Amino acid sequence: MEVSQYLNVFMDECYEHLQVLNQSLLTLEKEPDNAELLNSIFRAAHTLKGASATMGFNKMASVTHAMEDVLSLLRQKELEVTPEIINVLFDALDLLETLAKGIVEGQEENIEVAGVLQSLKKYLVAELTSERQEKEERRKNLQLRYSPDEIDKIKTAVEGGLSLVHLHLTLEKDCLLKGARAFMILRELETQGEIVRTIPTAKELEDEKFDDDFVIGLLTKKPVEVLVQFVEKMLDVKTVKGEVVEDDKLLVERRGAGPSQLSTAAPSAEPQKTSQVKASSSISPTVRVDIKKLDDLMNLVGELVITRSRLEQISMEKGDPLLGETVEQLSRLTLDLRDQVLKTRMVPVDQVFSRFPRLVRDLAKETGKEVELRISGAETELDRTVIDEIVDPLVHILRNSVDHGIEEPALRAQLGKQEQGVIELHAYQAGNQVVISVTDDGRGIDPEKIKTRALERGFLTPEEIEGLEEEEILNLIFLPGFSTSDKVTDVSGRGVGMDVVKTKISALGGVVQVSSVKGEGTTITIRLPLTLAIIQTLIVQLGEDVFAIPTGYIEQTISVARNEIKKLRNQEVAILRGEVIPLIRLQDFLGVPKAKNEEFDELDVVVVRNGERKLGCVVDSLVRQQDVVIKSLGSYLGNIAGIAGATILGNGKIALILDMRAVA
Amino acid sequence: MKETKGLNQQQEETVQIVIFKLGEEEFGVNILQVREIEKLDQGITRVPKAPHFVEGIINLRGEIIPIVDLRRRFGLTLPELGYNSRVIIVEVGDALVGMLVDAVVEVLRVPVSAIEPAPAITKGVDAYFLAGVAKLDTRLIVLLNLERTLSSEEAKELNEAELG
Repeated sequence: MEVSQYLNVFMDECYEHLQVLNQSLLTLEKEPDNAELLNSIFRAAHTLKGASATMGFNKMASVTHAMEDVLSLLRQKELEVTPEIINVLFDALDLLETLAKGIVEGQEENIEVAGVLQSLKKYLVAELTSERQEKEERRKNLQLRYSPDEIDKIKTAVEGGLSLVHLHLTLEKDCLLKGARAFMILRELETQGEIVRTIPTAKELEDEKFDDDFVIGLLTKKPVEVLVQFVEKMLDVKTVKGEVVEDDKLLVERRGAGPSQLSTAAPSAEPQKTSQVKASSSISPTVRVDIKKLDDLMNLVGELVITRSRLEQISMEKGDPLLGETVEQLSRLTLDLRDQVLKTRMVPVDQVFSRFPRLVRDLAKETGKEVELRISGAETELDRTVIDEIVDPLVHILRNSVDHGIEEPALRAQLGKQEQGVIELHAYQAGNQVVISVTDDGRGIDPEKIKTRALERGFLTPEEIEGLEEEEILNLIFLPGFSTSDKVTDVSGRGVGMDVVKTKISALGGVVQVSSVKGEGTTITIRLPLTLAIIQTLIVQLGEDVFAIPTGYIEQTISVARNEIKKLRNQEVAILRGEVIPLIRLQDFLGVPKAKNEEFDELDVVVVRNGERKLGCVVDSLVRQQDVVIKSLGSYLGNIAGIAGATILGNGKIALILDMRAVA
Repeated sequence: MKETKGLNQQQEETVQIVIFKLGEEEFGVNILQVREIEKLDQGITRVPKAPHFVEGIINLRGEIIPIVDLRRRFGLTLPELGYNSRVIIVEVGDALVGMLVDAVVEVLRVPVSAIEPAPAITKGVDAYFLAGVAKLDTRLIVLLNLERTLSSEEAKELNEAELG
C-alpha cells in the first residue's frame, strides 16, 4: 500500500482520537463510574490501534493495544478506575502524542515505548483469563433480554396461541457481506412471524457489528423444527439452534452499565447518562479540505472584492441604470460569497481550549495546587490563522494563573477562600472582535511590587512611576524582561513572558489588557479581530494621498470647528461631550505633504480608541467606508511603524492601511 | 556573475547584463535577477516612515512592489525622472523590488574576462554596493551587487543611522 498518500488522513484522525482520549480521560478522572465514557475511550483507543497497525506504525499500535487491554478490563469492572491507572493512561496518551509527532518527522522507530508498555501491562496479569472471560461474556450477552413492554406483548401473544422462539444462528466464517446476509435472513424470517428483538440489534447486524452469530426472538405460530429447517436452507448459515422460550422465563434487560451496553443500545433502552456522548452523532457530514485550498480561495475572493469595487466605480461614472442594477446584484453576491468563504475558515476556539483542562490539571499537580478550570464560550469562532497563533499566549497566561495567581491550598484556607482555586476561561464575540478572558481568583497583582520591580530593573524613573495610573502600572508587566514572581519555578517566571504574549497578540492585530484586584484575582483580556484577511475601513484623505483606517479602532467621526480646538499643555485637544480628547494631525504624524487649500473652518476628526485611550485624528476629509483586502508591504519593507499594510482600491490605486495602535 | 562554464574553452564565458542609466552613467545587473521592466505609468504611493530611498509602492497586477530610487540610494544628485524612466523589477532573496532608473539601454553579452573588481569609489558609488566593473572598448559599466544594494536589513540600519 502506498502509505504516504493516506498519511494525512491518518494523522488528522489520529489527532482527533487523541483529543477524544484526552478529554474523556479528564472527565473519567472526575467520574470514574461513567461507563459510557469508558466505552468512548475504549472505542477511540481501538480505532487508533486498528488504524496505526494498518499504516504499519507498530509502536503506536502496540501502545494502543496495551491501552485497549487495560481499558477493556476497566470496562468489565475487573479493574477499578484509580488515580494511578488514570495517570498511567495519561502517560500512554502523552507517548501516543509523541509517537504521532514522530511519525510526521519519520522518527517513530526511535521513540522509546517500553516503559509505558510495562506500566500498562502491570494491570494485565490476568490478561489471558480475561480474554477467555470476554468470550464467555459475549456469549452471555447473546441472551435475549426484553423490555417490560415487550414482555407484556409476548405474554399477550402467547395467550393468543403464538409461541416465542429463540433462534441462534451462526454464519459461515468466510461469509462475505455478513451485514447484508443477516439483513436478508431477518427479512425472510419476517414472513414466518413477528421478530420482537434480535441481539445484536437489527441495526448493528446490518452494520456488521457482530462476530458470526446472533439470536433472534420470533413470535410465531410455526413449530421450532420447521423454522430451523427454513433457516438452515439459507445461504451462508452454518448452524441454527432453536428453542421455545416460556413467557415466564424471559430475561428482563439490564439498564445502563456493563459490557452489554453495545447490545442493548436500542432506543428504548437508552440510559439518560449517555446523552452527552451521543450528541456527537447528530453532526452533519463534513469534508476535509486542505487549508492551502481555503487560503487560495480566500485570496481569489479578495481579488473579486477588489474588482467589484472597481466595477462599482465604473458603473457610477457611466450612470447606466441597467449596468448599475447588475453591478449591485454582483456586489451582493460577492459579499455573500466572501462571508461564506470567511465562515469556512472559522473554527471554534474549542479546538484550542480543549487542550487546556489537561494543561491546568498537570500544572496544578506539579505545583501542588488545586485548580478548577471553567470554560465557557468554547463554541465562539475565530479565523483559523488566528486560532493557531493564540495557543502559545493562552498557555502562557494559564501557566501564570496557576503558578503565580492561585495560592497554595493551605494559604487559601487561611485567607478564607475555597481551597480549590478557580480559573475561568471565557470567550465571546463582540462585534467584529473576539474576546478571550482568563480570570483567576488568586492573589492578584500587587501594584507596589510592580513599581518596585520596574525601578529595580530600571524600566522607569521614580518620577515617571508617580505619574502613572494604576491600570498603567499593571500594564508594565507586558514590558520585556519583567517578572514579579519571587521564586523562579519550572512552570513560569523565567523573565520571558507577558511581553511575548503582548507581541504575539499585537502581531495578530489584537490587544491584551490586564486588570487585577490585590488578594482577589487577576483578569487578562485578549481582543482579537475575527479575521485577518479582509477588514472594514474608513478611507480618509490626507493631502493628495488616501489612507484606510480600520473601523475596529474607530469610536466615531466628528466635525470640530477650528475655534473649538483648545491647547492644553502644548497639546491640541477637543472637548467631546465633556471628555477631553487629544488631537493629532495625522498628516504631520505621517509626514505626508500638505494640500494647498489648508484652511477649513470645520475639521474632520476620526476618534480612535486603543484600549482605554482615545485620540482624535485630524484628516482632510472622510472619503467613504470600504471593505479592503489587506496586503502585506512585503518582506523588503518589513514592518513600518504606523502602517499595517496596503490595499488596492477600486481605481487600481494603492491606499495604505494605518495601524492605529502605533498612532493612538 | 558567471553564467555557465563552457565545455569548449575557445568559446569565452559570458554573462548577460541589463544595462541602464542613472544620469549619464551606465550601470548593469545580471539578467538572471531581472523579472521584468515596466514603464512608470502609474503613480507611486508614498510610504510614510519608510527608508528615504524607498520612493513608495506600486500595484503590479495585484502585487504590492516597493520602489527604490537608486539615485537616492547611492546619494547621487540627478535631474527629475523623465519620459525614459523605467522600473526594473528584480528578485532579491524572496522579495520583488522595483528599481527606478533614468533609462534602460540594452541587454549586452559581456565576457567574464572583461569584468574587474570595482575600485573603492566608482562614479560616486561606494564599492560596497558593486559586483565589479565591466570594461568594454569605450564603455565602463558599473555592475551592481543587488543583494547589497537592496538589502532591506542594511536599508533598515542605514535608515536608523540617519535618523539617530
